[in-house]
Amino acid sequence: MHIRDLPYSDPGEPDVRSGFRFLLWLFRHQLGGQTRALLWGTLHQASIALLPLVLGLVVQAVVHRSGRELALSGLLMLAISLAMTLADTMLHRQAVTNWITAAARVQQLLARRTTQLGGMLTQRVAAGEVVKVSTGDVEKIGWFVESVSRFGAAVVVVLSVCTGLIVFEPRLGLLVAAGVLAVVLSFVPLLPAAVRRADIERGKSGRATELASDTVAGLRVLRGIGGEELFLERYRRASQEVRAASVRSARMWSLIDAVQVVMPGLLLVAVVWQGATMASEGRISAGALVTVYGAATFLMFPLRLFQETAMAFTFSRPSAKRAVRVLGLLRESGPADAARGTDGAPRGDLRDPASGLVAREGLLTAVVCGDPNTAERLAGRLGGHPLHEGEEPSALLGGVALDGLPLAVARTAVLVQDKDPVLLSGTLRELLAVPSSGRVTVEEALGAAQCGDVLEALSRAAAGPQGDPMAARITERGRSLSGGQRQRLALARSLITDPEVLVLDEPTSAVDSHTEARIAAGLAGLRAGRSTVVFTSSPLLLDRADAVVFVDEGRVAAQGTHRDLLETHAGYRAVVTREPETTHYAEETA
Amino acid sequence: MIGVSPPEYDPSSVEHATTLPVAGRATVRAYVRELLHRHRRAFAVLVGVNTLAVLASMVGPYLLGRVVQDLAAGAKDLRLGPTVALFAVALAVQAFFVRMVRLRGAVLGERMLADLREDFLVRSVGLPPGVLERAGTGDLLARINTDVDRLAQAMREAVPQLAIAVVWAGLLLGGIVVTAPALGLAALIALPVLVAGCWWYFRRAPGAYRAEAAGYAAVAAALAETVDAGRTIEAHRLEASRVELSERRVFEWTRWERYTLWLRTVLIPTINVYHSLIFAGVLLLGGVFVLQDWLSVGQLTTGALLAQMLVEPIGMIVRWFDELQVAQVSLARLVGVREVEDTDADASLSPQGRELTAREVRFGYLAGRDVLHDVSLRVPPGTRMALVGPSGAGKSTLGRLLAGIYAPGSGDITLGGARLSGMPAERVREQVALVNQEHHVFVGPLRDNLLLAREGATDAELWAALGAVDADGWVRALPRGLDTEVGSGAVAVTPAQAQQIALARLVLADPHTLVLDEATSLLDPRAARDLERSLGRVLHGRTVIAIAHRLHTAHDADVIAVVEDGRISELGSHDELVAAGGAYAALWRSWHGSPSREDEAGRLVH
Repeated sequence: MHIRDLPYSDPGEPDVRSGFRFLLWLFRHQLGGQTRALLWGTLHQASIALLPLVLGLVVQAVVHRSGRELALSGLLMLAISLAMTLADTMLHRQAVTNWITAAARVQQLLARRTTQLGGMLTQRVAAGEVVKVSTGDVEKIGWFVESVSRFGAAVVVVLSVCTGLIVFEPRLGLLVAAGVLAVVLSFVPLLPAAVRRADIERGKSGRATELASDTVAGLRVLRGIGGEELFLERYRRASQEVRAASVRSARMWSLIDAVQVVMPGLLLVAVVWQGATMASEGRISAGALVTVYGAATFLMFPLRLFQETAMAFTFSRPSAKRAVRVLGLLRESGPADAARGTDGAPRGDLRDPASGLVAREGLLTAVVCGDPNTAERLAGRLGGHPLHEGEEPSALLGGVALDGLPLAVARTAVLVQDKDPVLLSGTLRELLAVPSSGRVTVEEALGAAQCGDVLEALSRAAAGPQGDPMAARITERGRSLSGGQRQRLALARSLITDPEVLVLDEPTSAVDSHTEARIAAGLAGLRAGRSTVVFTSSPLLLDRADAVVFVDEGRVAAQGTHRDLLETHAGYRAVVTREPETTHYAEETA
Repeated sequence: MIGVSPPEYDPSSVEHATTLPVAGRATVRAYVRELLHRHRRAFAVLVGVNTLAVLASMVGPYLLGRVVQDLAAGAKDLRLGPTVALFAVALAVQAFFVRMVRLRGAVLGERMLADLREDFLVRSVGLPPGVLERAGTGDLLARINTDVDRLAQAMREAVPQLAIAVVWAGLLLGGIVVTAPALGLAALIALPVLVAGCWWYFRRAPGAYRAEAAGYAAVAAALAETVDAGRTIEAHRLEASRVELSERRVFEWTRWERYTLWLRTVLIPTINVYHSLIFAGVLLLGGVFVLQDWLSVGQLTTGALLAQMLVEPIGMIVRWFDELQVAQVSLARLVGVREVEDTDADASLSPQGRELTAREVRFGYLAGRDVLHDVSLRVPPGTRMALVGPSGAGKSTLGRLLAGIYAPGSGDITLGGARLSGMPAERVREQVALVNQEHHVFVGPLRDNLLLAREGATDAELWAALGAVDADGWVRALPRGLDTEVGSGAVAVTPAQAQQIALARLVLADPHTLVLDEATSLLDPRAARDLERSLGRVLHGRTVIAIAHRLHTAHDADVIAVVEDGRISELGSHDELVAAGGAYAALWRSWHGSPSREDEAGRLVH
């Protein structure tokens, strides 16, 4: 796998039985890359390990005062340098490739799994948890998986060098081998505490960032009313806490650093002592002493890889666990989607047995609900496959239970626009490019939803007076737009989709009356002959509806036209005119 | 052709719309100098302990050189005891100072970082309200999230590590020269290779790494949005296009990874060749020198070992230098906020009275495109005025002008005879407050969310304010009352409750004039009207300008101004406008559905 071939056409089906198995699964999927990294890594470290040998040879050559030996050492040096350069470069390329491909695979898996879960996801796991996997955990997972091969190379080389030294000079070799073991083990007890402190630090730092962005997000409030000092002081406290935690964490790492100086240093002292004694007794040459000294210093290099791998493992374990928790979620999406094409979608009247609500085919039905939560649940149920699992029976479209249909088919037949539709970031053109029947044009939909002023504002933001509003960028959740503008764009998007049945929950609650009146007309015109259900209490919309249904306590309480109900039903009048039922007449006659 | 050319699409170019200035080189330099000056002692300490650590680390090679020298000279007594003891002492000293270096480096980095982020927030919090309103908070948010994060890495690691590495490399080179001046020559031979390679690399690296980081952030951002918009995506069947988007982001990101990998494919051999040249140069040149008797074996050994040690600091310099370059861009964005000009507020301006007037006001966001044309309006103290009209007609703009957030392009807006836009923001808000649809609830205790409006208010006052906006009920029901943590990540507050909190702040701040821009639009209609009524009692006697999209708000006002196309087209009381039979009357009739009954009711009330 090369980086240029990413993304994967199919990231595969991960093993989510445990965090460790997931890591193993990722590792298994890049065996080729891991093998290459192992070979390059071994060559790289081996060539570094040979440098002390050259050093020894040179020293020996000058001790012998031999120019020929010196020249030969030079040639050897050249060869080793070439090998080292090549191996270092190739190892880096392979290691980064392994890291990137593992990270890309996990990102792709996450994207697939989250879309598959849809609205269900955030009910099963906190949104922040998922985002955490994608922002921080993927890197750590990739890091550990990648480091395995370099670790392998380090093990191979350390073992070889120790073996070589033992063969070359048993007493010194055994001394070094024992020392290496001590060095490897010396920092391990410190690691958990260091990781813990690093976690605390990250937590505090996240909190401070959160406070800062929170303060900035609410800056208009602060500048408009006051309290800047209060919030600055709060941030300063958090910022200083981060500083203290970071220094505390650095204290631990600095201890590890010091241990890494002392332990190898002690080994060196021992080697010099032992080696020099042997040299003075004439048992080894001066050059050999330098070689052993060099080899002992070299060993610190692969040893650092041991430390890195241990750290990567410690850091990546919780990350892998979190990733598995997200990737392991499943959603029942009804009978197999493939078995039944979208042409099998039913049509006819939409009926909700639990409330008794019926929306006739081809009409604009308005639903008035005293309680917004009841409205939300009812609207959700009308689309089938509700997110809130309850006891209520499935809504029926043309007599067919929507829950019995594949999710994709049900969603195609009925589009439920909830109370808080999200505008996805991107250009306006991208925002409106939704799967649709193709019957309604973008212009018609934007016109019906009264988006004229939004287009103007967007073209102004895009690039001066001649800017193309369709190319203007909508920021995340449409934050750059007002509440009313957002609602109208969301409505336009739903109109473009043009489903068999369109269910809208309070589509114009943040729109002013002038515009709302025009939207009501536009909606009725554009949806003529199609089934539409609007949850609203605005007279401007209700007046346009073919039928109005009043739902009280979760059941249909009255039906008729807006004007009829206003005349005949006191409960309906109370909800729609916003006058408290009991005081309505009292005020009138006051 | 060998090599990889940079991808055409640069994710960092669209990362965030820049609406606030980015600092120029001079400002950044001045700031860095100021920062260094502020922390010069910490810097001196770091350099000091680092020097000691490096000097101690050079004792080992020196001692080994001496031993080798003695061996070569055939000395019988190597005096190993003192040598080993000295080595051990040097080791202890080195370990101690290595620890200090790491610690001092962290202390310095963390202090500078804390300064940076706090400075930035202080400056942000002082931005003029007009600038904020116009620029939005998106750019500022991006700066505090992305740029502070990128700087964190630089301040924590790059600055201290670079300081350490430069001192380290310098001392090692110095050590080589002191050991044998001739060997210094060998170290210099290799320099042109390193300089040429780094020159090539550093010209390309910062931009590429920025793009790469932005590309990676875009992968995560796409996923975060998919998670957040799960319901919408499911309803609109956007699953396939979201997966495709995520994969496109992965594609864009990995293209940059591939490019930076190519950059390093050039850099890494360069560094390797540099090391090899130094090492080979010292060894072979040194070897020749020894054969010529210009140098002793011991000197050669020490020099070679020191040359070998150079690998690490050089690697550190190369590794952290581009981090610093990337950080520079982020720093320019953070420091840029300092370049926003303060509006030249005239502290001597002080209103005499409470009458708010607009005289022939014109205003536009872009030159030549006026949103308001010749608007004149007089709002006597205590009036409740409603601004109604279609979206985009200029209601909100007029509201912001009346609240002193924008200065009119021509004409005057005065409060009590004094020009509103000339007063300092702090003076304006004592008089006039604007509440819009953006109801931010700050993360933290509910109490802090209210105290910001009046620092030092007692609990009784807070409860009274909550009562005035019908919010005391649900606040009392919270697990810890006023001390309950609210905001994202804590107890979630509904949009309607957030709106109540915003209004409670207003009650606490108690300005004599209020501009409410659809301040109750998120409440359900019945609650909105109840709230407006109870608020009306509390705000009795105050001037209230309400921009409303629900007609009952207009119905309840003393005066209604209908804004259309940037002009006031109708002005008068509800009854007058209904009687006049204009646009307002038509709307009122269709809104009410049943004209006869309600009109009678209206007449009876008034």
